[in-house]
Amino acid sequence: MVNYKLDAMFELRKYLWNKLKDTDIFDENNYYADNLKETLIPIIPVQQAPEMNQFLSGKKHIVYDKIGLSYEDNWLICCEQILFTIYSTEVSDIVEIRNFMTDEFRRMDDSARDINKWSNLSDKFKFHSLFIADISPIKPSEEIQGFLASDVILEVKYSRITDNNGRFA
Amino acid sequence: MALQAASGLVSLMAGQPVSGAIKDSTVAQISAAIFYKTNVLAKLTANKTFQSSFQNVLFKQIDEDFGQYIDAKARTSPKSLHHVYEWGKAGNRSARLFKLNKISQQGLMFQINYELLDSRSFVPSETSKRSHVFIKKASVMEEGKSVVIKPRFSERLSFNIDGNTIFMPKGESVTVKKPGGVATKNSFLAAYKYFFTGQLVNMSIKRSGFQRLFNSSISKALEVPVQIKTVRYSFSPNSIASEAEAALLGAFSGVSNG
Repeated sequence: MVNYKLDAMFELRKYLWNKLKDTDIFDENNYYADNLKETLIPIIPVQQAPEMNQFLSGKKHIVYDKIGLSYEDNWLICCEQILFTIYSTEVSDIVEIRNFMTDEFRRMDDSARDINKWSNLSDKFKFHSLFIADISPIKPSEEIQGFLASDVILEVKYSRITDNNGRFA
Repeated sequence: MALQAASGLVSLMAGQPVSGAIKDSTVAQISAAIFYKTNVLAKLTANKTFQSSFQNVLFKQIDEDFGQYIDAKARTSPKSLHHVYEWGKAGNRSARLFKLNKISQQGLMFQINYELLDSRSFVPSETSKRSHVFIKKASVMEEGKSVVIKPRFSERLSFNIDGNTIFMPKGESVTVKKPGGVATKNSFLAAYKYFFTGQLVNMSIKRSGFQRLFNSSISKALEVPVQIKTVRYSFSPNSIASEAEAALLGAFSGVSNG
């Protein structure tokens, strides 16, 4: 049975969260929600931002969304742009996250290679290339009072593994 | 300049059979082939079909990418960009109240501007029984203008604040200083400027695939026509120039229907 719930963007989010923890940029203990009795991952899809804001009050976090998705002439290769908006009350936090993302994701084939090597990546995806399409300046957020914000746009090329008929495996 | 340089070949194209190292029609044919290719390249930028294809392919991609960028920004920053969508549909492609226009086309250059469209949906209200369309919602909120609300169909205004119904004195108006909230003022303009002055528009141009289309079309146009490949001692420059024009027209006609 093909799992259509899988998405390259979710895989990328898992990878990013893992790296942000490994580099001690985020401490997951700071995101334990008592009401929910679980640790939240502070990289949230924009659609969940309104309800998650209560748990992330005052804490640095990232909101993400897909800008666009298109297939190349070679229909096996998908090209996606993903917008990450980094929120924090401290400029230095945003600078740190932004610099980490630049360092991790600007290397095109090499960035993709590192993700492909990651053992927790779903075996249904193969990343080909990633690069930083754009980084916006840090400015006061209009959305969340008291927070600063900055956007990082990643362009990602990947393939979903297929069967002999070209359908998702 | 290229055409001027190529005009030196005209005498060689109309020559008699030559003897010596290069025999037969070779000189005339080579000259004609170079003359043809130079004409194709020289007429390229002035060719209307090419110009139109160039502009259409680029504009189409920029329009698509800009729209998607604003949609994503509106979803992540609804307070700043909700006003350029119909009520309650920030980031929804089909509810956009903005569009890009291609203006002032000259040669291969074209300019782009934007237009904020009229709203056509009713202002959401939990209390009012009357339906109202705030037609200039996008432009008024973008400019941060205040809005004066006056009673039109009844003698006084009434509205709810925190569950309490407030009745205004008879005939009195209410001024809403920031109808879209403080964040909407010039926010679309800022996003527009950001897109068009940074990397995003460049990536859009690259993504348009124009280079690929251009390469395949121009190589088709540069193929030397059969007449020149045929052994002859004399070629008409006018006929070759027309041939070049026709080849360009044919090569770029299918690139984009705009």
